[in-house]
Amino acid sequence: MVQENMVLTNELGLHARPASALTKIALKYKSNVTLQGNGKTVDAKSIIMVMTMGVKGGCPLIVIADGPDELECMAAIQDLVENKFYEE
Amino acid sequence: MVGIVVISHSAKVAEGVKAMADQMADKSVSIIACGGIENGELGTDPMKIMEALIRANSGDGVVVLVDLGSAVLSTYTALELLDKEERRLIKIADAPLIEGAICASVQASGGFSVNEVAAAAESARSMLKL
Repeated sequence: MVQENMVLTNELGLHARPASALTKIALKYKSNVTLQGNGKTVDAKSIIMVMTMGVKGGCPLIVIADGPDELECMAAIQDLVENKFYEE
Repeated sequence: MVGIVVISHSAKVAEGVKAMADQMADKSVSIIACGGIENGELGTDPMKIMEALIRANSGDGVVVLVDLGSAVLSTYTALELLDKEERRLIKIADAPLIEGAICASVQASGGFSVNEVAAAAESARSMLKL
């Protein structure tokens, strides 16, 4: 299991498009991916749950990946978050 | 890739749900809006639904999202108009229309099977908003 504490640096946080980008990455991997933020813990593979978290720009997000490809999965999510979801 | 058909009594609702789902899905996912009846009035038309089901199916199947009441009956009628092979990979998701369409289209973007895409749509049923 790997865990990374990130900060969302994009302006809008996990709104529709960034949330779907994150979920689509999580779906590519076998590992279970859990997100913690805004007082909630959700399955990153469920777009509806990720959107419902309501994590805003500038807020912390904890990502936990657990499974056979957890390192690759975490690297991909980190790349997405660090690059502001390739939106800005 | 699994296709998505959004069926509503209102053409505007179907188009709006498609627009929201399109924004979140990969461009390769085919999302077809199918709303209203011929004269622009509210309703669902089995023939129109049948055409939408055929258009959305690239061979991997279709997940159908419906709004209320007779949308389900019209979809059953449309399915009866298709032959057995065309019908085989079409699933009606027992899910809320907007949330279900968004979940289904994101899941379909990942290249999942028709059953997995339908299950993702149905997972939206248990979501609380507050």
